[in-house]
Order: sequence, then C-alpha cells, then structure tokens
Amino acid sequence: MIKPGILFLITLNLSLGITAGFIMHRADFCVAGMFRDLFLFRRTTMLRSLLLLVVCSIILFDAARQLGIIRLYPFPLLASPALTNIAGGMIFGIGMVLAGGCVVGVLYKMGSGNLLAATAFAGLIIGSGIYAELHPWWVALARKTAFLPGKITLPQALGIDPSTILLPLIIIPCILFFRWVLQGQWPAQAQVEGYVQPWRAAIYLSILGALSYILVGMPFGVTTAYAKMAAYLALPFAPEHVAGLAFFQAVSLKYTAPISALPLQGGAGPVMDAIAVIQFPLIAGIVLGAFFSALLLREFHLYHRVPGRQYASALLGGIVLALGSRMTPGCNIWHLFGGLPILAMQSLLFLAGIFPGAWIGSILLSRFVLPSRQVI
Amino acid sequence: MDTTPEANLIVHDIRGQICPSTLLFALREVNREQQALKEKGAAIVILTDNRNAIATIPEAVSSMGYATTVEKKDGYYQIEIRARKKRTN
Repeated sequence: MIKPGILFLITLNLSLGITAGFIMHRADFCVAGMFRDLFLFRRTTMLRSLLLLVVCSIILFDAARQLGIIRLYPFPLLASPALTNIAGGMIFGIGMVLAGGCVVGVLYKMGSGNLLAATAFAGLIIGSGIYAELHPWWVALARKTAFLPGKITLPQALGIDPSTILLPLIIIPCILFFRWVLQGQWPAQAQVEGYVQPWRAAIYLSILGALSYILVGMPFGVTTAYAKMAAYLALPFAPEHVAGLAFFQAVSLKYTAPISALPLQGGAGPVMDAIAVIQFPLIAGIVLGAFFSALLLREFHLYHRVPGRQYASALLGGIVLALGSRMTPGCNIWHLFGGLPILAMQSLLFLAGIFPGAWIGSILLSRFVLPSRQVI
Repeated sequence: MDTTPEANLIVHDIRGQICPSTLLFALREVNREQQALKEKGAAIVILTDNRNAIATIPEAVSSMGYATTVEKKDGYYQIEIRARKKRTN
C-alpha cells in the first residue's frame, strides 16, 4: 500500500509538472534558446525573462526561509563545489544547443508533438547510461578538483547570513527591470494563439519553483530520473552489469520530506525510490501539460519530414546533454531556477560553464546542422 | 520549394524543424530573394509550427525593411514576408 505522504508527493509533482509544462509551451520558454540566441542573434529578450525568474526566486526562497517555511536550507542533492561543475556546465551548454532544448525544454517540446525533441529524449537516456560507465573515473576527478569542503552556498563559504548578500545583489537587476518597463521592452510581440508573455511565464515558474521547494523540499530537478530510466531499460539485457555499477548503487538523495516528515532516500538505480516518486511524475507532468496546451490550441501535430542531420544533431545533442547533466551534476533548471537563487557554488560554477558551452554549441550548430539548403 | 508564379509567392514548408532553424532559414531566404521581394513584389511564405519563430521572424525581418503577416492555419502558422514599400513598376 502506498503511504499518504508518498501519494501526496506523486500528485503534487504531477500537478506542478502539468502546470509548468503548460506555461512553458504557451510562452515557448526555452532556456537553451535563451543562451543560444545570445550568441547566434545577439538577442537578449528571453535572457531578460530568465534573469527575472532568478530574481523572483531569490525573493521567494529567501522570504520562505526567513518565515521558517523552508527547513532544508540549502536543499538536498547539492554538494560543495568542484571544478568539474564548470566542465559539466560547458558540456551541458554544448549539448542543449545541439539537442534544440535543455532536459526540461525537450520534455515540453516532445509533449507538443515535436519528433526532434523525442529524438533528443532518447539521446538523454542513452547518454545517462553511458555516464554510468564513466562515473567512477569522473567522481575521482571531481574529488581531486573539489574545494571548500562542507560549504555549499556562497554565504556559507563567506560565513554570513544569506540575506546580507542576496539583498544588495538584486538591487541592480531590479533597476534594470524598471528601466526595461519604462522602455517598453518587456512585452514580446507575438501573433501566436494563446501566447503567455515570457516575463509572465518567468514569474509563474518562480512561484511553482518556490512551491516545490516548500512542499517537496527542493526545487525542480529531473536529471537523476533519466539515469534511472536508462538503468531500467538496461536491466533486462545486462542485470549483473547494471547491478554492479557504482553509479546505480549510490544513494544520492537522503532527507526528511516536509509536510509528511517521511524519511526518504533515492538514487539512479533501477528501484522505485524517492527519486522515482518525485521526478517521474514531474517529467510526466511537463510532457502532459504541454500536450494539453498544444491540444487545446489544435497545434499538436507530428511532422517527421525533417532533414536527417537535424535528427542526428538532436540525438547526439541529447547524449552530450545527459553527460553534462550527470557530470555537473544537475541540469539548468535545477541550477538556474533552484541553486542560483540561494547562491549554491555548484550552480554558480555551472553558470560559468554554460555560457562558453552554449557559444561552442552555437558554432557547431550553425556550421554543421543549419546552413545547408535544407528545403524539404 | 514551391513557387507559385501567378501570386508570386515563394512557399517554404519547414514545419517540425529544430530551433532556431526556422528563423535562420527565413533570414537566409529573405537575403537570397531580396531582388524578387523588393523589385517584383514577391512574397516569401513560411509554414511553421515553431511558436518562438512567430515572435522572432517578424522582429528580425522588420529591421531589414520587411513587413510580415501571420495567419494561423490548421495547427500551424503561415508567415508572409513582403517588402515594406511597394514598387509600382
């Protein structure tokens, strides 16, 4: 029998996922695109919305912490920093541009019927499986390049109260936001049905992230579940090999859930644990939310007549993206929507890596994938 | 590519393509067909299902002197790109 606390987590994550997927599809809130378009088109419209999301999350998370609603601070699964966080971020950046979306972007695009996103999704599972083989070597490297042991966030490393550093930090973005309001730079002109303005989507998503932090105990994260899917898929073919891999034996999540006070734990291995209970419904929810949104707009269609090199890019990008997300560890949603607002050092390093990564990805994409006379 | 001579429309169906292929494709076609667009009153018609491109294409080609009209069709969008100043020769 499923415990009520577990049922609560499943229902909650499914609902949060459906809402987020719906909003992301309506606004086409593609984080991979935000970084890519900075390099390809010098377009920053969408990056502004990302900055708004981060600032809103800083305010919401810190308010919740000060009110005592958030007990787990910093949240579980975060660790002290290592230089491998930058390397992982870079690989992640390359992968997300080639895949045409990040680990979450791929989900909402897949939900709306995009077959390239489905291809990237397959790549993500394959890449997670490949990482399981590389894990011992990568962990050894991470240990060698680790610093500030025991310190997870920047305020912890500096030995100060988070608010002391967070409040001055949001002043400059807030001035910028106000300027963009005066210049009329927020509304995006899009004659697309059912459009949700990206700035609105940013605010909604920060609220959903805060709800997840308060009720689940941590902000949105999905990447370990991809590795779990890879483990489940490989299990019938090579049960002993899967069981013997250190990556699938590791228990990365161990915490007491808020609300139900259930002690939970989980990892990437092929078992129904806390990772499965939290991340699988979230993933399914995002896909479903986007599917409902596309269905309501009558925009759900499968177009398969796409140049072959785009399929190749999506698959390869998905694999690279998964490797990056396991090496960092974590994805852009986890780090930018969750870790960055509490100044987790892993997330700051990930951010430092994702910019050059997206730049390299943009060069690769425009050189090898896009320029051909790809007329169907 | 499907050229309809009577209406002088150059139609491209690029539904389902990877981001940001739609925008890059549109920009490249606008550059390539510059003469037809500006001197012969031709229009480029792009069929796409990429919601983001509906925002980015009009924005990008507008600064290049083109006007766009967006129309929703059965489950996808049709963007028509024309030169802003119509020549009467």
